Amino acid sequence: MTWLSSGFMSDVFLGITNGVLYGLIALSLVIVWRSTSILNFAQGAMAMFAAYVGMTMSSHGLNFWACFAIAIAAGFALGGLTERVLVRPLYKRPEINSIVVMVGFLGLLESAAAAIWSTAPRTLESPFSQIYFQHHGSTILLSPFALFQIIAALVIMTAVGAIFRYTNLGLQLRAAALAPEVARLLGVRVNRLLTFGWMLSSAAGVVAAVVISSSGSIGLSPTIMDGFFVFGFIAAAVGGLESPLGAVVAGLMIGLVQQFLQDYAPSGISSFAPVIILVVALMIRPQGLFSTTKARRV
Amino acid sequence: MSKLTTFSDARPTTTRFIKATVATILVALIAGYVLTPSTDIYIATAAAMAVSVMGLSILTGFSGQVSIGNAGFMAIGAYTTAIWANHHEHFPIVLSLVGSMAVGALGGIALGLPATRLRGPYLAGMTLAFGYVMTPFIQSLGSWTGGSGGLYFPVLVTPTWFTSLVGESENLIGANARYQAVLSVLVAGIALFFAANLSNSRVGRAMRLVRDDDVAAELVGVNLAQTRVTAFAASAALAALGGSLLALVAGAATSSTYGVALSIELLSLLVLGGMGSISGAIIAGILAAYTDLIMTKINSLTGIDPFSNLGANMKGIIFGVVLITMMLAAPRGLVGLATTLAAKARRLRSGAN
Amino acid sequence: MISVSQLSVSFGAIHALTGVSFDAANGKITAILGANGAGKTTLLRTITGLEEAASGDITLDGESLLKKRTEDIARAGVGHVPEGRGVIAEFTVLENLRLGSLAAKVNFQEGIAEQFELFPVLGERRHQHAATLSGGERQMLAMARALIAKPTVLLLDEPSLGLAPLVTAEMMATISELCAKQNLTVLLVEQNAKSALKVAHDAVVLHLGKVVASASAQEVAGDERLRQYYLGLAEQ
Ligand SMILES: Nc1ncnc2c1ncn2[C@@H]1O[C@H](COP(=O)(O)OP(=O)(O)O)[C@@H](O)[C@H]1O
Ligand SMILES: [Mg+2]
Repeated sequence: MTWLSSGFMSDVFLGITNGVLYGLIALSLVIVWRSTSILNFAQGAMAMFAAYVGMTMSSHGLNFWACFAIAIAAGFALGGLTERVLVRPLYKRPEINSIVVMVGFLGLLESAAAAIWSTAPRTLESPFSQIYFQHHGSTILLSPFALFQIIAALVIMTAVGAIFRYTNLGLQLRAAALAPEVARLLGVRVNRLLTFGWMLSSAAGVVAAVVISSSGSIGLSPTIMDGFFVFGFIAAAVGGLESPLGAVVAGLMIGLVQQFLQDYAPSGISSFAPVIILVVALMIRPQGLFSTTKARRV
Repeated sequence: MSKLTTFSDARPTTTRFIKATVATILVALIAGYVLTPSTDIYIATAAAMAVSVMGLSILTGFSGQVSIGNAGFMAIGAYTTAIWANHHEHFPIVLSLVGSMAVGALGGIALGLPATRLRGPYLAGMTLAFGYVMTPFIQSLGSWTGGSGGLYFPVLVTPTWFTSLVGESENLIGANARYQAVLSVLVAGIALFFAANLSNSRVGRAMRLVRDDDVAAELVGVNLAQTRVTAFAASAALAALGGSLLALVAGAATSSTYGVALSIELLSLLVLGGMGSISGAIIAGILAAYTDLIMTKINSLTGIDPFSNLGANMKGIIFGVVLITMMLAAPRGLVGLATTLAAKARRLRSGAN
Repeated sequence: MISVSQLSVSFGAIHALTGVSFDAANGKITAILGANGAGKTTLLRTITGLEEAASGDITLDGESLLKKRTEDIARAGVGHVPEGRGVIAEFTVLENLRLGSLAAKVNFQEGIAEQFELFPVLGERRHQHAATLSGGERQMLAMARALIAKPTVLLLDEPSLGLAPLVTAEMMATISELCAKQNLTVLLVEQNAKSALKVAHDAVVLHLGKVVASASAQEVAGDERLRQYYLGLAEQ
C-alpha cells in the first residue's frame, strides 16, 4: 500500500474529480452573471439538453469526439438562442422576474428532455478506461477517464480565462460587463457580446455535462445536472459571483469538502452538506470569499 | 419599470375575507354532498395545494424572496404527520397538523436566518439547494422515514359524529374521502384567513415595504432581518400544513414527491394565480388538483399516448412554458391579466362612445 | 455639420430639453453653456443615442442620428467623452486605449504613438490601472481613447470639471489645437463659460432645457445680459 492509495489521498482524488466539474459550472454561471446580472438557474439543464443532442449522434455511428463537438456546438446555439429569446426581455425587469423565468426554463428543458429521450440514464462511450490505476498491488482512485475529466475541465477553464484576459474579444466582453454604456460609446456592439457571453457560458457547461454522460457510474438523464448545478452554484456563491478564479477554486474546495464529509460525517449531515457549506461560507463572508467588490450587498 | 408593478397587492378587508371563506366552505360542503367520492379527493387536494401555494405566496409575493425549495417544507410537514400517525394509533388530527406546522416553522426559521444576509438570486439558489437535499436527507434517516420507499400510515379514521351528521356513505372509503375533503377545506379556510390577516397586519405591510425597497423600509423603522425570517417561518408553516394535508390524502409521505420539480410546480401555480393574492392561491390550488385531469383531456384531445414519454412529461412542459410566458407577459397572474384586459376593454368601449 | 432641430427630451414629467435648435459647424468648436440642470448632458446623450428624443431631429451631415444605435453612431465617427469621463478603472491605460481603437479598426500601435505624443503622461503610465490616475490624467485618457478612433465629431461633457485652473487652461488649449489640426467638429459642454468661450468659435446657451442664445462665441462673451446670467450662475 502506497500513500497514493491511502484513504486520505483517495478522498482527494475523488474530490478533485468532482470538484473540477463544480468549478466549470460555477465558471459558466460567473460569465453570465458578470455581464448580465442574471443567475442562470437553467444552466445545468441547458448543458444536459445539449449533451443529449450530441449523444443522439452516437447512434448515427459518430465517435465520441464528434459527439462531443456536436454537443458543444448545440450548447453554443442554445446559449445564444436563450439570450436572444428569453433573457433579453428581462434586462429591464425586476430581478424576481428573471429568477422565475430561468426556473421555468429549467423545468421546461428537463420535461422536454424526458419527453424526447426518456428518463432512463444513458451513457456515451468514451475512449478512456474507467478502471482505477493499480500501483504496487493497491488501488489508486484515479482512472484514465478521471484524468481526462480533470484535464478537459482545466483546459476549458484556461481557454475561457485566456479569451477574457488576452484577446480583443475578451477585452470587449469585460468592458461590456463593467461599463456597458461606455463600451457602446466606443462602438462596442454590446448586445452581440452579451449573446456571445451566454453562448460561451453555455458551451463551457456542456463540457461538464458530456463528461458526466460518459461516466459509467452516472450517465445522462434529464435531471442529472440538478445536483451538479446546486454544487456549482454554491461554488460560484462561495467564490463570489464576480470572480472567475474564485469560482474555479471554490469548486475544487467544495468537491473536496463534500468527499470528506461523505466519508467521515453521518449520512444525514453529509446529504445536507450543500446547504451547510453555503450557509457557513456566506456567514463568514457574505460577498463571497474571492470577490473584490467591497461592501456589496448580496 | 418599477418593482411595484410586478405584484398584485391583495389587501382584502377582514369582513370581505370572512365572506369569501364562508362561501368557499359552503360551496365545498355542498359539492361534497352532491359529488362523488373521487371529487372529494380533488377538493381535498385543491385545499392542500392552495395552502402550499399560499405559503410560497407569503415568501415570494409578500416579501419578495423567491423560493425554489418550498416543496422541502411540504416534505417536513408530510413526514411529521406520517411519523406522528405511525406512533399514535388514534391520533388527534388537529394536534398532528399543528405539530407539523410548528416543525415546518422551525425549519423556516433555520433557513430564514442565514437568508437574511442574502438577496435575490443568492437567496433563491440557497432555497434550491435546500429543496434539492431534502429528498436524500429524508432517505438517509431510513429508520424514521422508511427510506426511499416512503412512509405509510393508517388511514384517517372518520369520527362517528361526522358519519351521523353527513350520513352513511356507501362504503368506508367514501365516507373517509368526504371527511378528508371537509377537513381539508376547513383547515385551508383557517390557514388562508390567517394569511389574509397577516397580509393586512403591520407585519404584512412591513414585508411589502421590504420587498419594494429594503433601504426605505429600514429608514422607516422596519427590522429587515426580523421581517424576512417571519416571512420564512410563516411560509414554511403553511407549506408544511399543505404537505400534511396532502399526505393525509395519500395515506403516505414519499420523499421523491417533494423534489425540485414540485417546487417549480408551486412557483408556476403561484405565478398563474397571482403572487400575494388569496384568491390567486385558491385558483392555484384548484388548478393543481385538476392538473392531471386536464392533462388527460389534453392528451386525449391531441391523441398523445398518455404513457408515452411525451404524454408523461406534458405537464412539466406546460408548467415551464406557462411560467416563462406568464412572467414575461403577465407577471400579475391570471387574475391580474383578467383585470388588465377588462380595464383595456373598458377603455376601448369608452373610447368608442 | 451637426444640426439639432426642435429637439425635445423628457424624463417622465421632467422636460429636460424643449424645442432645442442649433447648428454646429464642421471643424469648429461650439460651446454648449448653461447652469447645472440646464440639459447639456441630456443633449449630448441624445446625440449619441443614449437618451430617446420625444420629438425633433438631430442630423450629422444631413443624415438623421435618431434612429441609429449608440454603437453605430460611434462607428460613424462621433466620439463622446461622457460626464465623469467614463474611463474603465479596472483596465490599464493601454487596455482603455485598445478598447477605444477596436471598433474603428485603426492601427493600434500607430494610434497609441500619436496619443502618447499628444499626452506624454499617458505613455509613462501605460501599464497603470486607470483607477490610479489623477483627475486630469483620467480626462486625458478619456480624450485619447475617443481620439484614437479618429472621430470627425467630438463631444466633450465638462472636461474641466474638478480640474485645477492651470490644467483646465492646458486642456482647452489642447482641444483648440486638435480642432485646428484634425479638422474636428467639437461640441464642448461646459459650466465654466469663461474658459470655454476663450477657445470656442460659437456658443449655445441653455437654460432649463431651452436655448436662450445661439451666436458666435465673441458675441456671447460680449453680451452683458448673458454674461451676468452666467457669472451669477457660474460662481465656483
Ligand atoms: N435619467 C434621468 N432621469 C430623470 N431626470 C433626469 C435624468 N437625467 C437628467 N435628468 C433631469 O434633466 C434635467 C437636465 O439634466 P442634465 O442634462 O444632466 O443637465 P446638465 O448636464 O446641464 O447639468 C435635470 O433637471 C435633471 O434632473
Ligand atoms: Mg451635466
